[in-house]
Amino acid sequence: MSHKWAMVVDLDRCTGCEACVVACHAENNIPTVGEDQAARGRAMHWIRVERSWEGDFPNPQIRFQPVLCQQCDDAPCEPVCPTYASYHTSEGLNGQVYNRCIGTRFCANACPYNVRFFNFYNPTWDLPLNLQLNPDVSVRSVGIMEKCTFCVQRIKSAEIQAEAEHREMKDGDFTTACAQSCASKALVFGDLDDPDSEVSRLQSSNRATKLLGELGTKPNVSYLERGTWQDATSG
Amino acid sequence: MERRNFIKISALTGMLATLDACGRPDQELIRFVPEEDLIPGIATWKPSVCTLCSAGCGLLVRVMEGDAEVVRHGQRGLMQMGLAKKLEGNPRSPINQGKLCARGHAGLQVLYNPDRITHPIRRTGARGSGEYQAIGWDDALKELSTHLTALQSAKATNSLSFLTRPLSGQRRELIERFLKVFGAPPAVWYEPFDEAVLRQANFLSFGHGALPTFDLGRADYVLSFGADFLGTWNSPVAQSVGYGEMRQGRSGRRAKFVQVEARMSQTGANCDEWIACRPGTEGLLALGIAHVILSNKLAPQGAAFRAGSLIAGWSAGLPESTPEAVENQTGVNAAVITRIAHEITKSGSGTAIIGGAPLAHTNGLFNALAVNALEALVDRGRDQGPILGFTPDPAIGDAGQPAVSAPTGLAGLNSLAQSALGGQPNAPQVLFLYEANPIFSAPPGTKIREALARIPYIVSFGNFIDETSAQADLILPDHAPLESWLDSIGESGSLQSVVNLAPPAVAPLHDTRAMPDVLLGLASQLGGDVAKALPWTTFDALLRAAYVPLRARGGSIDPKTDDDFWTALQAQGIWSSTPGTASAAGSRSAAGASSPAAARRAPTAPAAPEFAGNADDFPFHFLPYVSQSFGDGSLANLPWLQELPDVLTTAMWSSWVEINPSTGARLGIQPGDLVEIGSQQGRVRAAAVLSPGIAPDVVAMPVGQGHDNFGRFASGRGANPLSILATLAERETGSLAWAATRVKIVRIGAPEQATLTLFSEGRSGFPHEEESR
Repeated sequence: MSHKWAMVVDLDRCTGCEACVVACHAENNIPTVGEDQAARGRAMHWIRVERSWEGDFPNPQIRFQPVLCQQCDDAPCEPVCPTYASYHTSEGLNGQVYNRCIGTRFCANACPYNVRFFNFYNPTWDLPLNLQLNPDVSVRSVGIMEKCTFCVQRIKSAEIQAEAEHREMKDGDFTTACAQSCASKALVFGDLDDPDSEVSRLQSSNRATKLLGELGTKPNVSYLERGTWQDATSG
Repeated sequence: MERRNFIKISALTGMLATLDACGRPDQELIRFVPEEDLIPGIATWKPSVCTLCSAGCGLLVRVMEGDAEVVRHGQRGLMQMGLAKKLEGNPRSPINQGKLCARGHAGLQVLYNPDRITHPIRRTGARGSGEYQAIGWDDALKELSTHLTALQSAKATNSLSFLTRPLSGQRRELIERFLKVFGAPPAVWYEPFDEAVLRQANFLSFGHGALPTFDLGRADYVLSFGADFLGTWNSPVAQSVGYGEMRQGRSGRRAKFVQVEARMSQTGANCDEWIACRPGTEGLLALGIAHVILSNKLAPQGAAFRAGSLIAGWSAGLPESTPEAVENQTGVNAAVITRIAHEITKSGSGTAIIGGAPLAHTNGLFNALAVNALEALVDRGRDQGPILGFTPDPAIGDAGQPAVSAPTGLAGLNSLAQSALGGQPNAPQVLFLYEANPIFSAPPGTKIREALARIPYIVSFGNFIDETSAQADLILPDHAPLESWLDSIGESGSLQSVVNLAPPAVAPLHDTRAMPDVLLGLASQLGGDVAKALPWTTFDALLRAAYVPLRARGGSIDPKTDDDFWTALQAQGIWSSTPGTASAAGSRSAAGASSPAAARRAPTAPAAPEFAGNADDFPFHFLPYVSQSFGDGSLANLPWLQELPDVLTTAMWSSWVEINPSTGARLGIQPGDLVEIGSQQGRVRAAAVLSPGIAPDVVAMPVGQGHDNFGRFASGRGANPLSILATLAERETGSLAWAATRVKIVRIGAPEQATLTLFSEGRSGFPHEEESR
């Protein structure tokens, strides 16, 4: 059975709590770069929560939007890579082969979502913080570009598990670290090739939009717009 | 290169590397025999309990085989052992339901923190000098018991003091019991953001001296007065689960959420309507809304039961609290007050929540009682009873008990400090310090730093050096939570009783000992009545004795024998009562009416807040707020949380001051400028963030940074807003009124002088010099 991995982000459920951000750090061995590097704009967060202010006091409004790699079908990051480090997998992921990457950073320039992060230094963990590292995920070294993988290590281990049990992988066998921690269920991950999956159902919502969809990148992450309150007393 | 040569060179360099390590003991680690049988690459999941806030979320720890440097029998060596790799929520927990917040994930970095104290140490230099000498556990415990025996023989057992934060479960029971049988006064439970005001209000209004549980998934209208219920207040994960449901979990029924606060919190940022209210007048606003409801007969007057009759003038329909009068007091438009009253009563299922700053004024209890009365009036429940309920007491330990009679919080800290400074006969001679850092988190007016300097002997059980434990004479480091037996009794977040219990998820890395085991060991060394009252040799035996009786209550674990129950409880990590067996929510009004303490109380008249500092010299309200990442500052040493961008500002590794843009324009303050906030008590400096989500007469600052001695990640970073707070207390409960200080602002300099690092923009003015590597 084929798979097409996708995510739906319900902006009406997202509270901006950032549990996803730390969950992603823990799962994917993302280094903390420290204050000085962060001040140079080199902090790495594969998923971030963007916020935009609208209006002024006393009626300000904030909108939160989690932004991660959109795993585009027509990804601008892929064709620019001279070494084929950025490539498209058969399951719709924008893969990143660390061993091929030579650090041209063309992909980060091309990406309109600003979700690719470059290792300006070798990452370090003051001992024994190294013991927190997830053995399923390789640690990236200096000169390498990295990005959200939709927790490809979880996809692979679910595949292996299903194979060992002589069955097809099914929706809900696993989820990404961010979606697993999301208390308000704003992040939902799943397989679009499964018509009964939660993401398939949510993606057809009339609230669904794509981030910068007009660029023609065909993202596999969909956003559900915030709802509005209908005053039951006026109608 | 030829293959043959390559092999030769490889063999040679390998040999040299081996030889190189010889004679250098630090590279000659011995290898211990593994204590567990583990398969490399295969993860096991072990239950644990999150200790990074008091909500009591259940954890599952992903444990995988790895090599770690550990200490066994005083010898350092390498061991193949189970290592915690990731934390997830435990799906069995009715509180967090398999979910986990940002802070919870960072529990791993408490375990693996490079600044942990790895063995017992004794102070050798002056207090705070940071000069210590390693000491073995046997010697350390002998030294400690000598001090305690000396107190016993001098008949001065009441000069032992125990200073800690509010704990739950059997750690609390053990400490209380130890102090009682030893003859010492009750422990001082201090944290700056304690919830004593709300517990007291809930006890009076509803008959439950506990934090409330909101079943938000069924709500149609949520009116929150300052409660950061999606971020830092009460049980944020449980409340976020409910929030998702009330927004999009029910087809065609999306709840309205109105937030009342003077500074937009992360929770307020999600609301449909945001109302800025003058600080400290939230209770008056609640009465204004109640007035409209009562005078228009939108709800029956008796609907509020006891909660309503606690408010003066309630039976007469609150004649003083007309929308116009309330507009004058609170600054909230009268038309808005009237509209909200109509909306919330017609919505079907409305609820009113109070938390955070409104409780931290001198009139905090009045604010809470007023909002509770409004809540009881509007929350009549549509389908399955009211939205607000209380977690039933599992009839064990301390959950659900009314406010403790011993002086706690600020009052307890003050009396400890005064007796130490006053040099009275019962002045503390020996102080036990555990998980509390009042030198950082208490206002300077408590004089706790000076008081600690007068106490002859301080023992800390902390696993980090912080501002307070740096004053200790002897440090007996506790295990990290994931290395410990943990238990907690859910106070809120679920309408089922919840008991968390977990054995250690991983073996200890360092030469540390669990604080409860040290106390039990001390008790047996002291002998006599103390040993008789605490007969357990280890903490797990105590836990077993405490929790096995739960078997009689049925619930989620249903074994045949006590042994089976104990095994199953350890394996699952959670016991919960059967849903619906003890409906605290249904009985809350009756319980409130019948509680004797509530019945004795005269109705509360509206009370105005008082502030420290006059409005002419100190024109701004100062609002320190609980940081989403660091809580009260005790988590500032975790690098994941330091580098987590604050969701409203994207700030990392920094402190900042939030100022309204119009105030900034008036004072000539540009974004990022270094400003100084001054109160009567002191001054702090930080970068300015101009934010439309704050009232022009309020400035706000996150709590957590500004440590001067808390490890490599937190020390010397940012500023501590708690250090300029006045020591004002809530009038009736004595809790710290942390929102009642007034301040002035001065611009000090350009952004280059400040150190505000934003994820969105980096740091303005940061030099981009050539780097070499």
